[in-house]
Amino acid sequence: MTIPMSAAPIAAPPIQTPLIRLSGITKTLKGQDEPRTILDGVNLTVHSGQSIAILGRSGSGKSTLLSLIGLFDRADGGQYLLGERDITKLPERKAAALRSAEFGFVFQRFFLLKHLSAAQNVAMALVNGQGWLPRRKRKTQVMEALDQVGIAHLAKHKPPRLSGGEQQRVAIARALVRQPRVLLADEPTGALDTETGNLVVDVLLKATHRGCGLVLVTHDHDHAAKMGSVLSLHDGRLG
Amino acid sequence: MMAPRNSILSGRLRSAVIIGGQGIRARKLRTFLSMISLFMGVLAVVTVQAGAEIAQRAMLSDVELQQGKDGTRVMYVPDTGASIIEDAMRGRTDAVASLGMNAIIGEPGVRPVNEGGMSFENAGRGPRGGDMWCDERGCYPMEQKGPEKPAGQAIEVRMQALTGDVRSFRPFRPVTGQWLDFGSAPSLAPRIVLNREAAKGFRMYQVPAEMSVQGATAHMTPQIVGVIDDGGYEPTAYIRIDELRSWLPSGTAQAADPYRGGGGLQLMMSPGTDDLEQTLKAKLAGTGLKAEQLQSNVINSRARMLEELAIMRWIFLGMAALVLLIGVAGILNVGLATVGERVEEFALRRAVGTSRMLLAGIVLSETLLTGLLTAGAAIGVGVVGLKVGSQIIGGKYPSLQGIEFPWQAGVAGVIAGLVAGILGGLIPAVRAARIPIATVMRA
Repeated sequence: MTIPMSAAPIAAPPIQTPLIRLSGITKTLKGQDEPRTILDGVNLTVHSGQSIAILGRSGSGKSTLLSLIGLFDRADGGQYLLGERDITKLPERKAAALRSAEFGFVFQRFFLLKHLSAAQNVAMALVNGQGWLPRRKRKTQVMEALDQVGIAHLAKHKPPRLSGGEQQRVAIARALVRQPRVLLADEPTGALDTETGNLVVDVLLKATHRGCGLVLVTHDHDHAAKMGSVLSLHDGRLG
Repeated sequence: MMAPRNSILSGRLRSAVIIGGQGIRARKLRTFLSMISLFMGVLAVVTVQAGAEIAQRAMLSDVELQQGKDGTRVMYVPDTGASIIEDAMRGRTDAVASLGMNAIIGEPGVRPVNEGGMSFENAGRGPRGGDMWCDERGCYPMEQKGPEKPAGQAIEVRMQALTGDVRSFRPFRPVTGQWLDFGSAPSLAPRIVLNREAAKGFRMYQVPAEMSVQGATAHMTPQIVGVIDDGGYEPTAYIRIDELRSWLPSGTAQAADPYRGGGGLQLMMSPGTDDLEQTLKAKLAGTGLKAEQLQSNVINSRARMLEELAIMRWIFLGMAALVLLIGVAGILNVGLATVGERVEEFALRRAVGTSRMLLAGIVLSETLLTGLLTAGAAIGVGVVGLKVGSQIIGGKYPSLQGIEFPWQAGVAGVIAGLVAGILGGLIPAVRAARIPIATVMRA
């Protein structure tokens, strides 16, 4: 059997520095009972424009992993590189600045402030003390983010007047407004019906087309299947 | 790229104020309740400060007029030394002597409407008991001389005969006309300057221009040249001593009725006139006056009054601070409850990049804005209250007429509001800053 050879040599893909590299990450929760190891030597690499789904049983440590990636918490061991920068033991002040500049977060429960309009909820990510944007520029960015998720016309509506899907899209707009390099979504469709959930996942995936890395924690295998890679967290290890 | 440090600070400050303002708008009722709990405390501080400032102005504005500037040396000389003093004072500007006595202006031989030289507000009120006369040692019943005089159109004033311009020691405020001209030749029709109370008597009564002084050779025809505010409440007229001497020769003042205020000179000297004082004491001792009759003292009424007012102010401010503390407890209580309710909001804000420090700043800015709003309300109430109060009771107490709200009270109110905001917001701010993101966002 002959193997057909291409006439022209295949060009090697460009070597790209990963956005995120986790190596041997461990995390142990110290409660009243015995310490419980949640993450036990997790390795993960996220590239620009890559989408990764993380599956796993409840309590398997998916959200903990996302907390560590999003710098909500610190790992007990291992190494965390953001690009070339080692941010394993970043002080809180710098972690806050990185959360603002590099990450966008989407949660299952939306976490929108009821007393603010959709636009003000999105603007929250811009009014966080990390630099200052004039009101007009802020408004432009907010409207662009709302437009990206298709709800610019609902900018003045307050969350109680929005449906679940619309609220989650406001939350996604809030995550995207600073044009983050990594989007972290923790069961973003958990509180939505299937159709709305699909819509939300599509909106998230759209962000990867512009080079944003996406890490999606989900229980939904259909949504996971839409991602570029699917990983499973089991016994504190990612496989 | 790193933002410049001042831009970061400005961004944090603006973010804190914007988010704080949003928080207040979202919880109007709570903010209002916090303001109520704080209002009485801030109002107490504003009231105490305003009251103290007004009292200080009222008391200090007149104390120099009545008693002389601080540092002035004052010596009382019996009338027997009058001619020595008057000679020594001639042409001097660093020392002035004044001879005190009572004078009656108006119809001769009648009882003045304000017999004894009392203020016209009290003239003719109450039963006429036995008349008294008083000096520094006490009060004594007056001897009745002959039958009682009929009432008539005359007023009795305290007469101060001056050797020079006393305003360098007692800075009288001009009201109308002129002050006494000590540079011109003395007039036989003595020129007098009235204080406001004496001027009131002339407005109230039709008084002929005839003035009698006990011991004078004849009645005089005075010329009223001006009116001044000397801070006193008894009718007083100021006259050049050399013009008085045309009618009341030196040495006869002792003969002037002591019941009518005759009885010696008051000598006011600038600081640094010790030589003059020693010379005068030596000369007066030569006339037979004893050393203990020639004691002098230094005026420090203003400093003493300031000290007493400061003590009173601090006592009252201490009480106001206690009331303010109750308001602080109110803000603290509401603040802790609010932070408890807003755990998710604060965790979310941290998740989107807000630092712990800014989160604490947001909570503090809310309580500070609440404190400032309360201060604004308390100052507003203070301004209106003072205006209404001065209109209602200003007629009874002239010193309260037309008073302005002192700016110091406004500043004290703002400081009280800010301090209360910081004290009430500090613990909630620390709690907000300690909220763990991971725990909350996973819940």
